[in-house]
Amino acid sequence: MGANTMKTPTLYSPYDEPMWESIGQGQIKLQRCRVTGTFFYPPGPVCPESLGFDVEWAVICGKGKILSWTVFHRQYLPAYPAPHLVVAVQLEEGPIMIGYMDHDCLDSLALNTSVRMKYVNHPDGYRIPKFIL
Amino acid sequence: MTDTSQERHKRTAGVSAVVGVGHTDWVSDYRRVRNGEKPFDSYGYAAQAFSRAIADAGVARSEIDGLIVGPTTAYERMGEVLNIDPRWGGQADAVQAVFQAVMAIHAGMAEVVALVYGNDQRSAAVQYGGPQAMGGGAFLSYVYHSPWGLTSQGALYALMFQRYKELWGVEDRDLGQVAVGQRQWASLNPHAIMRKPLSIDDYLAANYIAEPLRLNDYCLVNDGGVALIVMEAERARKTCRNPVYIKGLGRADLNNHATSLGPRLIDFYRPAQQKAAAQVYSAAGIGPKDVDALLVYDSFSPHIFFALEGFGFCGQGDGARFIADNGIGVGGGLPVNTHGGHLSESYMQGWNHQIEAVRQVRGEEGERQVQNCRHVQYVSDVAGKAMSIIYGK
Repeated sequence: MGANTMKTPTLYSPYDEPMWESIGQGQIKLQRCRVTGTFFYPPGPVCPESLGFDVEWAVICGKGKILSWTVFHRQYLPAYPAPHLVVAVQLEEGPIMIGYMDHDCLDSLALNTSVRMKYVNHPDGYRIPKFIL
Repeated sequence: MTDTSQERHKRTAGVSAVVGVGHTDWVSDYRRVRNGEKPFDSYGYAAQAFSRAIADAGVARSEIDGLIVGPTTAYERMGEVLNIDPRWGGQADAVQAVFQAVMAIHAGMAEVVALVYGNDQRSAAVQYGGPQAMGGGAFLSYVYHSPWGLTSQGALYALMFQRYKELWGVEDRDLGQVAVGQRQWASLNPHAIMRKPLSIDDYLAANYIAEPLRLNDYCLVNDGGVALIVMEAERARKTCRNPVYIKGLGRADLNNHATSLGPRLIDFYRPAQQKAAAQVYSAAGIGPKDVDALLVYDSFSPHIFFALEGFGFCGQGDGARFIADNGIGVGGGLPVNTHGGHLSESYMQGWNHQIEAVRQVRGEEGERQVQNCRHVQYVSDVAGKAMSIIYGK
């Protein structure tokens, strides 16, 4: 068990790789089904709606609305000391994406608050989108 | 579901009965583990619970022809430790174990099934959050969002309940009624680890862990084991004292959008619970008003709100009002988690709820016995599987 095990993995399937590459380039792409036109998340082998393999990686606008949030008052992960504000956001393109915001945004949050992505550095050495007001 | 399937499903009602239950010494083992001892491993806890269950049932080990082991022990090794060579077996969590036992008995694959669970999660320092979080292999949502800092199953329920609060205007103190009510029951239960009375002020004074959930909204983490003996109903009627019948089963799952938390945050699992409710009540021939005690899988206290609403005890968003008006603790109109649940009795991942249901229907609970207890309903919504069992005389 080296220090490596303390890092937070990003790749849970081969389909995550193109997404993280696009994040690294500062413009996140998600998969869109060429048959139904729907975006889906997390990335996967087929569009769950059509079962079609004909999917493309398309840039999303990075905007969405707050569905919910929670504040971690205890540190679980090395990258995120408490208090850490995690948010669930319904993206304009449809999927729900989990992200985080600066804790001082907490008082501004309500259901449907508009948020947008900003790209920052994760301590493990990769770029990651967080949400800002 | 076709009519044929519906008829078949109803015929699972009453074909099996729980004839024996057993569990380990949660209270003393909790103390020992906190003192750095390790009384047993998972197999040892399971074996102790199993010995007590067959003694309680009055069945010989040689009568057992089916074996289901919990997710924390290997099937083959458990069978080896207990010296059981069944003609049917498998591995399952608590609620699925009961379902599978009923299905096996209904299909004639087995007649006397031992359900055995042991877990050394506390002494083995199992992590339910952080970089080594348990369960990520089976449930992608438990680990997928960790690059953004979302980890721990409690945080998933925190996200659910924060949205619920915003939608329905519910306050922290409303949620606190769950922990307070269950502690009342636990204080009457000699097997409960947490028996010290908990007031709403105590509850609110405790720290948040994943806001809006506080310390007492979280289950315990302790070592232990539970076992049940499930028998074909005719044989149980002829040979066992006080069998408790499994009167109905219901299940519906929500997998679509599970990793991005859609079934939790958009649906609160409700559509699945409503389908499971229709099945379980139709099989048992009763409705929510006939339920004498409700046992809910409570890794976190918000489960109780979702269960009350999803299974029709009250309307959507009415959970807080229902709890305030009726009461779910000692003396309440709907006794909920009469053992104290995972929050106060023991965290046996739903297994302790099954034996509590049996004991309430038997009528042997002493101080915490629910009067005229004819039907006990169990409800769980673990990771999108809305499942329910009705136990009765």
